[in-house]
Amino acid sequence: MDVAAHPVEQHEAHDHIHPAPTGFIQKYVFSIDHKVIAIQYFVTGLLFMLIAGSFAELMRIQLWNPKGTFMDYHTFNQMFTMHGTVMVWLVLIPLVTGSLGNLVMPLQIGARDVAFPWLNMLSFWLIPVSGLILFSAFLLPDGAPAAGWTEYPPISIQQGTGGIFYCLAIIVVGISSTLTGLNFLVTIFKMRAPGMTWTRMPLFTWATFATALINLFATVALSAALLALLFAQAFNVPFFDPARGGSPILYQHMFWFYSHPAVYIFILPAFGVISEVLPTFARKTIFGYKMIAFSSLAIAILGFAVWAHHMFPSGIAPWLQIPFMILTYLIGIPTGIKIFSWMATLWGGRIQFTTPMMYALAFLGTFSFGGITGVYLACVPVDFHEHGSYFVVAHFHYVVGGGAVAAFFAGFYYWFPKATGRMLSEKMGHLSFWLFMIGLTGTFMPMHWLGLEGMPRRYASYEVFAKAFPDAVFWNRFESLSSSLMVLSVLLVAINIIVSLRSGRRAGNNPWGARTLEWMISSPAPYYNFKKIPIVLDKPYDFTQPLPYRNLDDEHQDPYPVPSEAALPRGATAAVGA
Amino acid sequence: MAVSAKARSSAFLERASVEARFHDVDPVYAETRDIRTLGFVLFLLADCILFSSFIFAYLYLRTSAPVWPPVVDGKQIEHLDVAFGAMNSIVLFGSGVTMHFALESWKNLKKAAFNFWIVLTIALGLGFLSGQAHEYLSAPMTWTGSSFGASFFTLTGLHGFHVFAGVVFLTVLAIQANRGVYTGSKYFGLVAGTLYWHFVDVIWVLLFFLFYLW
Amino acid sequence: MTAALLERTIALIGSLIVGGTATLQLRNEWPVGGLAADVTKLLLGLMILGCVLALLASLDILGAFAS
Repeated sequence: MDVAAHPVEQHEAHDHIHPAPTGFIQKYVFSIDHKVIAIQYFVTGLLFMLIAGSFAELMRIQLWNPKGTFMDYHTFNQMFTMHGTVMVWLVLIPLVTGSLGNLVMPLQIGARDVAFPWLNMLSFWLIPVSGLILFSAFLLPDGAPAAGWTEYPPISIQQGTGGIFYCLAIIVVGISSTLTGLNFLVTIFKMRAPGMTWTRMPLFTWATFATALINLFATVALSAALLALLFAQAFNVPFFDPARGGSPILYQHMFWFYSHPAVYIFILPAFGVISEVLPTFARKTIFGYKMIAFSSLAIAILGFAVWAHHMFPSGIAPWLQIPFMILTYLIGIPTGIKIFSWMATLWGGRIQFTTPMMYALAFLGTFSFGGITGVYLACVPVDFHEHGSYFVVAHFHYVVGGGAVAAFFAGFYYWFPKATGRMLSEKMGHLSFWLFMIGLTGTFMPMHWLGLEGMPRRYASYEVFAKAFPDAVFWNRFESLSSSLMVLSVLLVAINIIVSLRSGRRAGNNPWGARTLEWMISSPAPYYNFKKIPIVLDKPYDFTQPLPYRNLDDEHQDPYPVPSEAALPRGATAAVGA
Repeated sequence: MAVSAKARSSAFLERASVEARFHDVDPVYAETRDIRTLGFVLFLLADCILFSSFIFAYLYLRTSAPVWPPVVDGKQIEHLDVAFGAMNSIVLFGSGVTMHFALESWKNLKKAAFNFWIVLTIALGLGFLSGQAHEYLSAPMTWTGSSFGASFFTLTGLHGFHVFAGVVFLTVLAIQANRGVYTGSKYFGLVAGTLYWHFVDVIWVLLFFLFYLW
Repeated sequence: MTAALLERTIALIGSLIVGGTATLQLRNEWPVGGLAADVTKLLLGLMILGCVLALLASLDILGAFAS
């Protein structure tokens, strides 16, 4: 180890590199390497996304006719329950925190791994275990859980034993999530490279930090709610039974106290991705770094104070509804600060329309749109009409599908070269993008006015609504057809991955010409990430300055990185950015 | 209480050598120890949230009940035995002090004293658990009969489970310490065990107040 | 001597001993720095509060429906 020219003595401490993993099991199955774990999360998340997406497709087939006969009502109930449950806990959270967070955050802070690599491995393996428990519920006599992903008592108790499996499975995935939050928090607090102060951290790391706070503190509240529900279902403990002093509203409070911050678990890493992708492909520094960083924290903290906006029509007192309404509006402020900062980042930049950039640009539109419908719903009298209608379904699919998932794909296309050393096909990427966005719009835009006209959600048949509103049949069919475009898009992603792993162009260290630390090492990175821990001198996003790092492994690193040949369309010159 | 100059200076020297051993470890271990400490403290904070959620449930159910303790089958449930609860609480708080002495003995390289104090801690912990068993058997309500039973047995049961896990944890620590896993300067496991035991103690302070004194 | 009186007495004497010892230990621990020490001080302090509550309970000053 070259000690001589090293100015920061105390970091000899974590300069040690553990021996390389040997054998297939240690390298690819029970790996403690955060990069391998990230890929494991990705594959699992994508698989569950296809499964949950198929459940949605089956629902859309049922909804082709106002009184569909494709499936019976109990099956339909299981479909929307499992679609939501799997998407929230086995797709979104694993993909944004487990996959992107694990891959990128340790590299961005110049660390060799997370603080507790073995716990990280455990966190991943709890996901398939949870999936196994949840899906085995289909074999029960009453079938899978069927009371919605929210599983409110008393209906979740009355529906049979599926609810017990739901509680067990989600408690398991909650443990995974809590441990990941703990791991990431300690990593960010204790393992940043020398010189990386809080205000020099990349914004994706800031986002991961804010998300980890929610992961650690909110998920335990979910475990408590589901433990209580489990006791109610399995042992007849009367937490939620009014006849014995309990209250169903209690469950809603306990459940939503987690589940509202949970949506910020989805979206904060997504915001982080946007903050990384926009500067790189606009070749321009991020506008409002500190405001974006602090608004991530503000959203994480404020997110704990708004849960009852999911409960406005449940019978809670008016003096409780008003503060929650006001606090919900307030969350729009830090979110708006970010959106405007991102727009200011783009202004005057030289935009490169790569696939990740297209997803990021679309995000600005679709997420904002979904956010605005959220502001509608935050208003108590409006919510009295729209709660339980397709307007709500439209709202959250825009913020989750057009927001979190779109940003996830931006991050996926952005960091795939770093994880695998191969570039993805831009042609397939662009096609996937358009299929996804057109499919998203076609599926969820009509739901806004169907909801306003009164179409209720979670109904296997809308025949009564269709009598009052005959256009409903046309629009439901339109939505069903459009949804297949999104399925095609995700299948195309899978094909893109397989083809590119075989014959994609090899990515160098830094195909996009970006400036954060993960791009200063080879693609894919060696298991120890950095041979020498780099020293950080300034924020990463200023394209007019040389790179603010010293002691990089690659001594010939260009101080002003530009996009490489691999990132450009074949035949183009490398004159972009010149 | 007059402390002689000799006793005071030897206490000072003892603490000085404890501090010296704390700081003199190799930097890799010091960093690992700091990381593990933060991780463990965050874990305890998360555990706080677990108890807080159930305490919220109890507060919600209690404040929305017309009378407390509630009426079951036409009869109001009796309140809990405060005297017994206070005595059992002292057993647990005492075990917290003995655990503190155990850790201090270890830091001062007094292995025999460490063994004495940690065994006493485990014994007092088991004593608390048997006290809880007695409470459960003589309780005037059932888990499924009312919101009182639901909250009481769930919260104290969760706490009792934590105490039981703590007893197992401390037993393992005692065995490990005697097998030479920990040294005079590397003993993070013992620190973690002490913090966990104090945490379990403090949760009981809250539960004792909420169920016996309020 | 009834069981209740015995329990009260044990609680009374015990809370004084345990609380007093804990206070002394907290005073000794006060100058030590570091996260583990700070958390210990906080938890010891709260435990002393618990001893005070047990003391008040044993004297019938606090307690559900204390006479």
